[in-house]
Amino acid sequence: MSEQQQALVIEDDFDAAVIFSQALVMNGFQTEIIRSGDKALERLKDFRPALVLLDLHLPQVAGTDILAYIRSQERLRRMRVIVVTADPRMAELCQAEADLVLLKPVSFTQVRELVSRFRPAQQA
Amino acid sequence: MNLRSVFQRLMNIPVLDPDDARRRKLLNLILLTVTGFSLLLFVGAALAIIPRLLGGGGVIPDDLMLLFLGSLGMVIGGCFIFAINRYWSGVVASVLFLGLFTLMSAFSDNPEQVANGRSLFIFAIPILMASVILRPYASFIFAGLCSLIVALIGISIDYAPNIPAMIGFFSVALVSWLSARTLEQALADLRATNRELDRRVAMRTHDLAEALIRVQTESGKNQAILESIADGVIVFDATSTAAIANPAITQLLGLPAEDILGRSIMALTEQHMADDDREKMAVLLRGGMHEPSAKLRWDNKTLSVSFAPILDGSEHHSGTVVVFRDFTREAELDRMKSAFVSMASHELRTPLNAILGYTDMLKVGVYGALSDDQQNALERIAANTKRMLGLVNNLLDQAQIEAGKLTLYIGPFAIHDLLADLEATMGVLAISKGVEFSYTVENLPDVLLGDPQRLNQILVNLVGNAIKFTDQGYVRVRAYRHDETHWALQVSDTGAGIPKEAHSYIFEAFRQVDDPITRKYTGSGLGLSIVKQLTTLMGGEITLISDVGQGSTFTIILPLNPIQEGHHERATTGAGH
Repeated sequence: MSEQQQALVIEDDFDAAVIFSQALVMNGFQTEIIRSGDKALERLKDFRPALVLLDLHLPQVAGTDILAYIRSQERLRRMRVIVVTADPRMAELCQAEADLVLLKPVSFTQVRELVSRFRPAQQA
Repeated sequence: MNLRSVFQRLMNIPVLDPDDARRRKLLNLILLTVTGFSLLLFVGAALAIIPRLLGGGGVIPDDLMLLFLGSLGMVIGGCFIFAINRYWSGVVASVLFLGLFTLMSAFSDNPEQVANGRSLFIFAIPILMASVILRPYASFIFAGLCSLIVALIGISIDYAPNIPAMIGFFSVALVSWLSARTLEQALADLRATNRELDRRVAMRTHDLAEALIRVQTESGKNQAILESIADGVIVFDATSTAAIANPAITQLLGLPAEDILGRSIMALTEQHMADDDREKMAVLLRGGMHEPSAKLRWDNKTLSVSFAPILDGSEHHSGTVVVFRDFTREAELDRMKSAFVSMASHELRTPLNAILGYTDMLKVGVYGALSDDQQNALERIAANTKRMLGLVNNLLDQAQIEAGKLTLYIGPFAIHDLLADLEATMGVLAISKGVEFSYTVENLPDVLLGDPQRLNQILVNLVGNAIKFTDQGYVRVRAYRHDETHWALQVSDTGAGIPKEAHSYIFEAFRQVDDPITRKYTGSGLGLSIVKQLTTLMGGEITLISDVGQGSTFTIILPLNPIQEGHHERATTGAGH
């Protein structure tokens, strides 16, 4: 159980992705950043991170479609998904499917603190 | 000119007094009869005399001569009296005529017969006539005159005065007086009635004329207004058929007036409006909706259409005045504005949030340990960025509110958490100024319904202001039960206070109290405007108690059960398409 848990940040804005990713790193995750929807779907076919931080506003494939895909796959059943959006309406809609919904603007400190709930088991 | 009208003109006397005219006309008729009769006698006498004169020295009998001269005298006298009657005085003519008639009657027979026999009756004629052509009471004068004549004639032939005849004369006079008087009275009444009637007719005519003029001016004025008005106007009747249209509407709709007038709303809008807009228009025309105006598409234009029902006295809906304004440009501007707002809200906030994110990361040592000065500089960067972000947020909120795009997300929230968060963000600011900050929750359930983000925004604005304008003392926030259906948030401070005269405008956008004392404080002047508009959007009310040097207390009263709008946009300005 010494292997680091993996996390995937799906966010098109470079700076936001860096900030989210850093917040995850500080919680003990090994993170990878993907900045478009289609690439994220592609990656999820053979990659099974413990946690996905998903921005709903993405080029190519919408974040909601990615969320729906994750929830439809039996093999991704145990994956935790944090949704990030600036649209309160979307936040409301994703409440049931996501493990956590963050409404933008969300600060580095906030993300860091909230993600601590999903810390890899050996550190919890 | 026919005989009848010549006769009429001859008989009628052109005087104003109707009684005088009537009497004189009557006298004329009598004169005509008498003169005509005399003329016949004269002609007859002349025809009898002329052959005898021509027959050579034939003797003309006395009575024939008397008849000839008498009838000639009567004709001349008749004409003379007629002239007096016509051109001078009816009274003089009547007296003259009656006097002559009475005298002639006195000598028309032998004295015995006149005083005491068959010719007595003849005196009844002037007595009767006097009451009719002179005056009602004149019958008594002539009765007296006739009695005198009869008496004198009687005396001249040694007869005793004929008392029964005199009584008879006065009886005739009495009856004649009574009937003439009654007649005159009746005529006078009739004339009074007629006069009254005339007066009324004149009055009504006058009123009618005035009303007509008024209506004409009024409708002229209305017409002028309708024609000069820049907005298009159509007046629809109760059956939703266009009854009146002004020139501006023909231009606006691109239809000639004859294609508008007399057509029903559905026929009029066909081929120009989408079906749902047509339906909406028809419903609005029937007064079926409470909103008095709508934005509707007509061909490629956007029209702002306002409806005003025409109610007659009995509140019966008798039609609708519909005013059309070309809203195309405004709608386009609106659309551009909301496009700009949504673009700006993303483009302005994203980099600021990135700055904050990196600053936070630097602060927690993600990129290595920091010196105190570096740490301090990062604090300043964070504080300034937050201020900038607050400013941008306020501007965007204002723009969103103005565009009618600001949406509330009503849900359950914990009031204690809301105020604890507030203390966490604002408390630091208060402490740095040496101002005490505290909050209390009184008599409220733990969980309330509302939009916590917007409530936080309201509180941050109010508390931020309070701290800004307070140099010593406290800033207190109170959440409490206002009444059965409302709760309240109150922010009070011991700061500079707001002058009374400024209370009316401090809630307007971009207004700050322009005062040397307060000028030193910076701000966008948007905070209170947004607070007020958010409060209104939440169905609440904001009140202010404050004066210079008295501190300020803002109270926001909110419904415990706010209306949940779901996913609908809460349009405050009714944006177009």
